[in-house]
Amino acid sequence: MNTRREQLVGVLFALPWILGFTIFLAYPLVTSFYYSFTSFSVLRPPHWIGTSNYRELIKDDVFHQSLKNTLTYAAASVPLATVFAILLAMLLNTKAKGMAFYRTIFYIPSLVPMVALGVLWLWIFNGHYGLLNEGLGKVGLPTPPWLTDPAWTKWTLVLISVWGTGNAMVIYLAGLQDVPQSLYEAAEIDGAKAIGKTWHVTIPMISPVILFNVIMGLIGAMQTFALPYVMFPGGQPARSTYFFSMYLYDTAFQFQRMGYASAMGWVMFAITLSLTLIALKLSSKHVHYEGG
Amino acid sequence: MKKFSSTGLATSRRRRVLINRVAVQAALIGLSIFFLLPLIWMIVTSLKPIDETMTSPPRWIPSHFEWGNFPKAFAYNSEDLGYIPFLVYGKNTIFVTILAVIGSVISNSLVAYSFARIKWRGREVLFGLTLATMMVPGPVLMVPMYALFKEFGWIGTFRPLWVPTCFGSAFNIFLLRQFLRTIPIELSEAAKLDGASEWRTFVDVIIPLARPALVVIAVFTFLWAWNDFMGPLLYLTDQQTFTLSMGLQFFQSQHTGTPWNLLMAASLIVIVPVIIVFFFAQKVFIKGIATTGLKG
Amino acid sequence: MNTAVAQRLAALAIVTAGLFAWVGSERAASRQTGSQRVVVTYWEKWTGDEMQAMKHIVDSFNASQSRIEVRYLSISGIADKTLLATSGGNPPDLAGLWGDQVVQFADAGALAPLDDLASKAGLSESTYKPAYWNEMTYKGHLYAFPSSPGTSALYVNRALMPPEYNSAEKFPKTLSEFEKFISKVSKKNNSGGLETAAFMPRDGFGSGSWPYLFGGDFQNGNEIEVNSATDLKAWEWVHSFAKRFGVRETQSFRSGFGNYSSPQNPFLSGKLATMMDGPWFSNYIRLYNPKTDWFVVPFPYPDGHPELAGYTVLNLNTLMIPKGAKHKSEAFEFIRYVQRQDNMERLCTEQFCNSPLSKVSEKFLNTHPNKAIRVFDELARSPRARGPVQVGIWNQISQEMGNAVDLMDVGGVEPKVALDKAQERLEDEWSKYREQVLNQ
Repeated sequence: MNTRREQLVGVLFALPWILGFTIFLAYPLVTSFYYSFTSFSVLRPPHWIGTSNYRELIKDDVFHQSLKNTLTYAAASVPLATVFAILLAMLLNTKAKGMAFYRTIFYIPSLVPMVALGVLWLWIFNGHYGLLNEGLGKVGLPTPPWLTDPAWTKWTLVLISVWGTGNAMVIYLAGLQDVPQSLYEAAEIDGAKAIGKTWHVTIPMISPVILFNVIMGLIGAMQTFALPYVMFPGGQPARSTYFFSMYLYDTAFQFQRMGYASAMGWVMFAITLSLTLIALKLSSKHVHYEGG
Repeated sequence: MKKFSSTGLATSRRRRVLINRVAVQAALIGLSIFFLLPLIWMIVTSLKPIDETMTSPPRWIPSHFEWGNFPKAFAYNSEDLGYIPFLVYGKNTIFVTILAVIGSVISNSLVAYSFARIKWRGREVLFGLTLATMMVPGPVLMVPMYALFKEFGWIGTFRPLWVPTCFGSAFNIFLLRQFLRTIPIELSEAAKLDGASEWRTFVDVIIPLARPALVVIAVFTFLWAWNDFMGPLLYLTDQQTFTLSMGLQFFQSQHTGTPWNLLMAASLIVIVPVIIVFFFAQKVFIKGIATTGLKG
Repeated sequence: MNTAVAQRLAALAIVTAGLFAWVGSERAASRQTGSQRVVVTYWEKWTGDEMQAMKHIVDSFNASQSRIEVRYLSISGIADKTLLATSGGNPPDLAGLWGDQVVQFADAGALAPLDDLASKAGLSESTYKPAYWNEMTYKGHLYAFPSSPGTSALYVNRALMPPEYNSAEKFPKTLSEFEKFISKVSKKNNSGGLETAAFMPRDGFGSGSWPYLFGGDFQNGNEIEVNSATDLKAWEWVHSFAKRFGVRETQSFRSGFGNYSSPQNPFLSGKLATMMDGPWFSNYIRLYNPKTDWFVVPFPYPDGHPELAGYTVLNLNTLMIPKGAKHKSEAFEFIRYVQRQDNMERLCTEQFCNSPLSKVSEKFLNTHPNKAIRVFDELARSPRARGPVQVGIWNQISQEMGNAVDLMDVGGVEPKVALDKAQERLEDEWSKYREQVLNQ
């Protein structure tokens, strides 16, 4: 096929998205970037104030605290959730009786509405009578105040994030379908054990999918909102669970400072983008593509 | 002697396989309890009388089962509204969800194919841009998004909820692209040597191989459209056009208390269809029937 | 394309077309009604019984005349929608918002002043209890009308009272008497932890407004001031509860409270012997623990300051007409209907609230589902009744004060230091607000 034609065909296949991007996303993106240089109370037209919002961010203690909370959470939850989701997917990819049911059951936490989940977690992690501390107490382990001590609250959310990996798990499960059986057979002939097969066959073969999940996990962790919002309104205690997205939402809608919130959004964008580029750079040697 | 030892080896091997199988089953059952907790808790709460909900310490077995909570939740508000909200909202939700799923699977597979398997100038730039759009937090886009849909005259219609999904979404494009890139390039080349066009290669070779990934996209879009709350809240203006996720809001109130048992019963009614859809969808992940025969 | 795929696509197309027809026909049918009338769109934030209570008023209004039809849309979380729609030039004719949003909307020029319409309709300052009138007006203009209001008072669980405290008459009137009451009524269990606390200032309604009790405030003239000597006294008093029972013990005890909206509400489960709340709380009692034997008293006042008696925190749900509303005078017709004494009393009865009107019928007081409604009505008339301060950064103030008390109670920060920090931040916020929104 000549290149000219390939160019045309490529663009034609991508046309829905090119149109969708232009119609539905380009205007909101450009506009919100413009808002970040204005004072904009939502109800009144924006007013240009230059880089004032960005300069204010540099001095804003609450912004710093929410950023620190968010980065800590992301650094802990992304690796943990990744490992956990891969292990679950591999378990669900074995041949065992009733697998259809197990797969569905493992995915159920991702289907439960947030109000129900929030209330349930408050119950389980309750320092006083929660299921978790009851169990820990019985085996003689310490029973920390998961929900009320600022030193613990973030870790409570990290633990919960590990448990809610249903989407990543499903993606890995689909990815495992694409690993050719013949590769495992070849590895077995070479005398590889289960761990060796996982490390030398499975992981490299699903590495594009791992990369996808790590990047999406990172973006998701940076924008974490719903669960802390339900469990710890206002980021209490003492703003220890006040995440970036919560501060951004409050600023935009409660405080009606959309211009300042937009500046936060674009700083968030820059941080996430840098982290993603680092992840791509670090992974480029390890991600294995079959399809060029 | 030789014969003897070989049977010994076979038994030990069989024993190992057996131990493995038992370990796997044990892990599956143990984890299942863990993952079923929220559902069990929802079911238990939905069958309790109101004064036994939310007790501390938690009460797992109700004093008696109130099966009446389900019809009560189902018919909630229907006297005042003159219709059964669950039926009307359910119908609206199904409508939006089906259109979103169809539009999403078709558009995303086309676009991802272009990004993954056709070489064209500008591809990498556009793909980078696509990824970047996900990194801008949603709330800062709400004001211009609303202005845009108002300009189109779409406020008060279902269009803001499903039309955009028919043009692809960054998440799905990226996901599918990663999958399509794991399919060996030789398969496409062989098809093209046989004289197949790009379209025929896409339809006859790649799509069948990408079935698990397409199902994942369909499931995610289904879930997203089914559970979306912010979209319907912002863009729908008539109570008869509301969706199920909005219907659940009616069980929570400012100053008159929350009927937790009815809320959980209603939530169950809303998520059961999703669980069923997932149960059938996951069948494509069963080894052997999908793609492996063709590969390697 | 092979035939199997073609067949499937055809089936898909038929299903899709069917769906369109199905949902489309429904839309057309629902739009038939009331085509001759002026349609007033009304967005409200309630759900459950509160939504129904207003629905009854809307229905009776629509039935009472044939010129206007109010279309009522009510769902929690609607504030964001109202904000975006108003900003997008597409507001409802009538918006139900909280009292503290009046200021934000008015400062942005997003509300229509209602002075003229009100005076023509005979609704004036004397129609309302003064504290509510203050919340309805801002900078000399009338912007909002009440739908249902509240005031706070102290609920007491009689079963936990020793004989010397077991009626409203015998209950402490001053803070020093209240101190003694707390020591007497709070109980520890066998393992030394708290079993019952007589009172916790951070639970219940109005927990962010304690400076008012001591005569303090959140502003001083045109400036924000949250760290005056009186404010410090108030927050030290709040913090004293954590110190009294022990910081960790208080933390652990409060974490044992169940969901507010459940039988495990700390008052209903007997963990708190008294709690500040609004008239609506009797509905929680009815729903979750009807056997509770309770009475209500005004909160005790600081010793030697009888002029500070009658402390109560206001809550106000309001009706406003956003600027750009298409049917302003028709929307006002409905407001006027709601403000009629009979309708207002019906709404407040069904929502378990007290009335904002200065005139209150005996029938309302006698048939109200909250048996203590007279106490709330009396408190609502108190000159000490206060709601949010009328500044556009009230949300920031409440968040900052909550954080300051957290810092004292669990962060080990000195009250003075925590308040000074809050003051510094709020001063910045206020000067930004004045510069960017008020153009001062």
